[in-house]
Amino acid sequence: MQKFVIVALNSLLAAGLYATMSYGLAVIYGVMRIINLAHAGLMMLAAYATWALNDRFGLDPFLSMIIVAPAFFVLGMALYATLIRWLPRSAAGPSMQSLLLLFGVWLVLQNLAYAIWGGDTQSILTPYTMESVPFLGGRLGVPQILVFVVSILSLVGLNLVLRRTYLGKAIRAVTQNRDAAMLSGVNAGQIAAVAFGIGTAFAAMAGSMLSTLYAFTPDFGRSFLLKAFCIIVLGGMESFTGVALGALVLAFIENFASAYTSIPVSYQDAISFTLLVVVLVAAPGGLPGLWRMLDRRVVAR
Amino acid sequence: MPAENGKILAVSSVSKRFGGLLALDSVSFEVQRGEIFSVIGPNGAGKTTLFSCLVGTYPPTSGSVRFRGEELKGLRNDQVVARGLVRTHQIVKPFRDMTVADNIRVGVLYGRLRLRGAKARERVDEMLSRTQLGHRAQVKAGVLSIGELKRLEIARALATGPDVLCLDEVMGGLNPAEIQQAMVLVRALRDSGLTILMIEHHVHAVAGLSDRLVVLNFGKKIAEGRPGEALRDPAVVAAYLGDETKEEARA
Repeated sequence: MQKFVIVALNSLLAAGLYATMSYGLAVIYGVMRIINLAHAGLMMLAAYATWALNDRFGLDPFLSMIIVAPAFFVLGMALYATLIRWLPRSAAGPSMQSLLLLFGVWLVLQNLAYAIWGGDTQSILTPYTMESVPFLGGRLGVPQILVFVVSILSLVGLNLVLRRTYLGKAIRAVTQNRDAAMLSGVNAGQIAAVAFGIGTAFAAMAGSMLSTLYAFTPDFGRSFLLKAFCIIVLGGMESFTGVALGALVLAFIENFASAYTSIPVSYQDAISFTLLVVVLVAAPGGLPGLWRMLDRRVVAR
Repeated sequence: MPAENGKILAVSSVSKRFGGLLALDSVSFEVQRGEIFSVIGPNGAGKTTLFSCLVGTYPPTSGSVRFRGEELKGLRNDQVVARGLVRTHQIVKPFRDMTVADNIRVGVLYGRLRLRGAKARERVDEMLSRTQLGHRAQVKAGVLSIGELKRLEIARALATGPDVLCLDEVMGGLNPAEIQQAMVLVRALRDSGLTILMIEHHVHAVAGLSDRLVVLNFGKKIAEGRPGEALRDPAVVAAYLGDETKEEARA
C-alpha cells in the first residue's frame, strides 16, 4: 500500500512536467493545425541555455527560467515571422510541408548545439539535486517537487491568460474556428505568431526543468516529444483538461509499469508509443471522444 | 428610409475561377446606403462565392469591390471587418466551447469598434438583447438550437460595428415563426442605420424585405431590380423552374 502511494505520487509529479511539455504543442496545434516537430530541439536548446546560465553565472536553473522563457517566446515569434508564416494553410490537418519544415528546424537546432557545445553529455548539479524529503514513509526528490510546482504554476498561468484576457479570447476563438475569428476581426496571423511564441516558451520551460532531472546531449528531447505526442492524442489535441488528463494517464501507466512489472525502465518509450497506437486505433478522439461517446450512450438510454 | 443616401458598395465585373469552374462571371451591381439588397438564385449560382469575394475570404480572380470608395480586393477578412463590412455564414460558425456572451465579445473586442472594459460589456449586453439571446448569455454556444445559432451569428457580426451587414441565408432551416422573427430583426437592423446585403432562399422573405435584388444563375447576373419586377423576369422564372424547352428536349 505504501509503495502504491509513493508510485502514485511520483506519477503525479511526473504528470505536471508532461503537461507543461505537451501544452506547448497543443497551443500551436490548436491555433495553426501544425505539429511542431522542432519542439524537442527547442527543449534541448533551453536545457543548454539553462546549463550555460548556471555554468557561467551560477544561476539556479529554476530562476533561469525567468530569462529563458521570455527569450524563447521571442525566438518562437521570430521563427514564426521568418519561416512558419509562409507555410500553405491547410484546414484539414498538418501539411507535409509543415512537418518537413519543422523537422528541418529540429535538425538545424541539433547540429547548432553540436557545433557550439559538442556532443558531450552535460548535466546541472545544484545543492538540492540529490535531496529528497520523507513523505508518507517514502521519499520524494526535491527537484521533482520543484518541477511539479513550477509546472502547475505555469499551467494555471496559461489557463488564466486563455480564460481571462482579451488576448486569450482571441487565441481560443482562432483555435475553435479560424474563419469565424477572422470574420469577427481577429488578425489570425498575429495570433498565430503569439501562439507559436507561447508554445516555444512552454517548450523552453519544459527543457529547463528537464535539465534539472536528466543529463542531456544535443540529441536530447526525442523521447519526450514522443511522450508529448501520446499525451495530446490521448487528451484530444485542443482541450486544456484533456491534455492534463492525458499527462496523468501516461505518467501513471509508465510509473506503475516499471514499479509493478518486470518491464525495464529503458522500455518506457515503448510503453508510451504502444499507448499511442492503442489510442489511435481504439479511441481516435482521445479521452474527450471516449467521454462524449459514453455520454451519448447514457443520454440515449 | 434613412436620410443619407448614395452608393456604399460597388461590385464591378467580379469573376472568380476555381480551376476549370467559373463560379462568378463578371458580376456587377451597386448597393445604396440604407437599403436591403438581396442576392438570389438557384443552388450553385455563386451567391456564397460572391460574399466570400466581398469580404476577403479569397480574392476575386478579376474585377473590383469598392466599399465607401476604397478598393477591398487584396485585404484580409479581418481588415475588411475593420473597415465596416462583415458577413455571416449560412453554415453557422460559432466558437462552440465559448459562452454565447464570449462569442459576441470576440466581435466587440477585435472588430471595427475594438471596445474594452465597461464599454465592451455594455455592447455585448446590447447585442444579446437585440438578438434576444440574453437568457442564453452564459451557456456554451455548442448547445444552442439552430435558430439561436443563426441569431448568434448575426449578433457576433453586428458586434463588430459594421456599416454593411452581409447575411448568408439566415432564415435557412428556421420554422415559420422564427422566419417571421428574423424578418422583424432584419428590418430593425436596417432601421437602425445599417445597410443589409442578404442571400436568401425564402421568396416570401425576399419579396417582403428587399428594396432591390440581383438574381444570379451559373455565376452570371441574369436580372436586377425591385423584387416585383425582377422576380417576374422570364429569365428568372426559367432559372428557378427550369427551362421547359430544354427539359422537353432532354426527355
